[in-house]
Amino acid sequence: MRATCWMGTQKVSVEQVPDPQILNARDAIVKVTATTICGSDLHLYNGFMPTMQKGDILGHEFMGEVVEVGKGVKNLAVGDRVVVPFCIACGACEACEMKNFSCCENTNPTGWMPEKLMGHATCGAFGYSHLTGGFAGGQAEYVRVPFADVGPLKVPSSLTDEQVLFLSDILPTGYMGAEFCEITPRKVIAVFGAGPVGQFAIASARMLGAERVIAIDRFPYRLRLAMEKAGATDVINYQEQNVQETLRDLTAGRGPDACIDCVGLEAHGNGLQYAYDKAKQVARIAQDRPMAVREAILACRGAGIVSILGVYAGYMDKFPIGPLMNRGITIKTGQCHVHRYMKPLLERIMRGDIDPSFVVSHHMNLGDAAGAYDMFMRKQDDVMKIVLRS
Amino acid sequence: MDSLSALRNINAGRDVPDGFVLSRAVGWTSVGMGIAELLVPRAVSSIAGLEPTTGASLGVRTKGFGDLALGLGILLRPRRPMPMWARVATDAIGLGLLAWAVRGDKSHRARGIASLVASVSTLALDAYATQKVTAAQETAASPVMFSVTINKPPAEVYAFFRRLENLPLFMDYLESVEQKGTRSHWIAKMPVGGTVSWDAELVTDLPGERLAWQTVAGSTFAHRGNVTFASRPGGTGTEVRVEMEVELPGVDGSATLAKLLTKPQIKGDLRRLKQVLETGEVLFSDASSHRGPHPAQPSTEGTSFARARATESRQAHRKGVVR
Repeated sequence: MRATCWMGTQKVSVEQVPDPQILNARDAIVKVTATTICGSDLHLYNGFMPTMQKGDILGHEFMGEVVEVGKGVKNLAVGDRVVVPFCIACGACEACEMKNFSCCENTNPTGWMPEKLMGHATCGAFGYSHLTGGFAGGQAEYVRVPFADVGPLKVPSSLTDEQVLFLSDILPTGYMGAEFCEITPRKVIAVFGAGPVGQFAIASARMLGAERVIAIDRFPYRLRLAMEKAGATDVINYQEQNVQETLRDLTAGRGPDACIDCVGLEAHGNGLQYAYDKAKQVARIAQDRPMAVREAILACRGAGIVSILGVYAGYMDKFPIGPLMNRGITIKTGQCHVHRYMKPLLERIMRGDIDPSFVVSHHMNLGDAAGAYDMFMRKQDDVMKIVLRS
Repeated sequence: MDSLSALRNINAGRDVPDGFVLSRAVGWTSVGMGIAELLVPRAVSSIAGLEPTTGASLGVRTKGFGDLALGLGILLRPRRPMPMWARVATDAIGLGLLAWAVRGDKSHRARGIASLVASVSTLALDAYATQKVTAAQETAASPVMFSVTINKPPAEVYAFFRRLENLPLFMDYLESVEQKGTRSHWIAKMPVGGTVSWDAELVTDLPGERLAWQTVAGSTFAHRGNVTFASRPGGTGTEVRVEMEVELPGVDGSATLAKLLTKPQIKGDLRRLKQVLETGEVLFSDASSHRGPHPAQPSTEGTSFARARATESRQAHRKGVVR
């Protein structure tokens, strides 16, 4: 089959590789009908995530048709149309029982690696380095899905691929980030980063009843989409406005009740702080550029909540622990427990509460994956979300 | 955790004065020698009874660099046997080189022999200190102890473990274990190929609580295992704690070496035990279905590796009858 392989920093290519086979009884093989590139794939693309190996198949947002099931899979049949959560969960460990699926204790066969780096192992995930198990990803023609009786969600044919594809990651991720904010109508929510996850965080905050949601980015087309489709009430372009001052202004001095960081480790910004972060990252002294999360903590109201969805990799420098502690800010974060949100969000899509297809900006062929990565990284042609099909 | 292990954990952090003082002395001496050799190599070679040629100076400087590095290594980790063993090995090599140099140079025979004697005593002293540090380390930290929490009641986890035939399901270096009463016959795969086998005896069997075994008297190596099963705080679930010791009887330091070698293995074993009990089998990824590093991409070898393991598991399972 053909698959998008990571061949080195800023090098991906579509290679001919062996077809996946059933390795465990609870596996299924899925023929991928639609997949997409995630902002977090860019961290791999740009070489910021350790433990990548040449030849790793990328992609953790995908959906498709079941073509083979292992003996242990009773709830799926060949021909089923499914969306697959990016994190792999066993459904039986304590973490899974508590619905903390992305902390599953059984799905990371290379768990000793994150144990060294992060203290404990994370769950397994598709196409996301060897820290998350070394599982081939879904930017391919076929993919092996472990614990297929736990993860994949059957979706009705009445919905298009573009409407359900994002249930695999970014819609639940954005939703979880908004849920962290314990939203009431009185609460003002600031969303840092208006990429696809940011758009869904904004839309979810509105769905959960926030009256005022502020989007922050540097690309006018992304801010426009946030206002027109996701439902942001205000926008800040940080290259033109001072974020702290504008947020204080918009909230009459209080600061947002909750801030959602949808940026992560490759944040951009202005001035010295950005130059400092960037220099350290280039010199490989630091993995993370923490502009967005710093801004979020400083902006947040006392005893407010900072919800971190952006991906971070390592041990951060110049983290504002003083402001965080003294003003009693709560941080809530995590890789999304996708399994927890898929069904309720599918119901919301079917009810028409949200149509996630609004983030799709481009359709491309799987064979053009290399070009798609480059375009997505450079934010060319007002790119938002690229759907790949083979 | 039984009180013995708790006590051991507390004691593990305490200084072991004997070995500690000795290793620091070795470290500082090593640093001192290193500095002298680096700064005044000619004087050092002349004291050692060598013709102070440019070649000898270069050799002495190189040794100085090594001595300095080893000394710092020992001072940074005075309780660890590894840097000390490196010191002893370097002493032995240095002694060999010195003997060779002295033999070829007849003009300073007396000094040469004196420095040889000094080197031999250094080696002896370093070896003695290393011995002490190693022994202290062994009383402080062996055996290997690891633990895992399994989301099943203790009775079930115990029952699974008690059927020793099940062990190869998650201890992937074992080929088979066969039980005959309280005795069992273990066959393990060697990393270099071939197998090794031994007989063990169950010494403690407290249903739902504890299992302990050890190799029978007269085995080529000693292997002891102790596994406790305790209810996790406040509910269902089992805290499994494993202590294991492997050593070659009579060979000092073999337990420490074995500990270093078996540590990652036992951690992996427990990870797999949890997988087998909670999910039914050991999970493979595209990377983990290969012996060495492999990219996250399907491969025919990976598939056959995983399937072979699955077949082995089924066979072991059949022998074990129930889970």
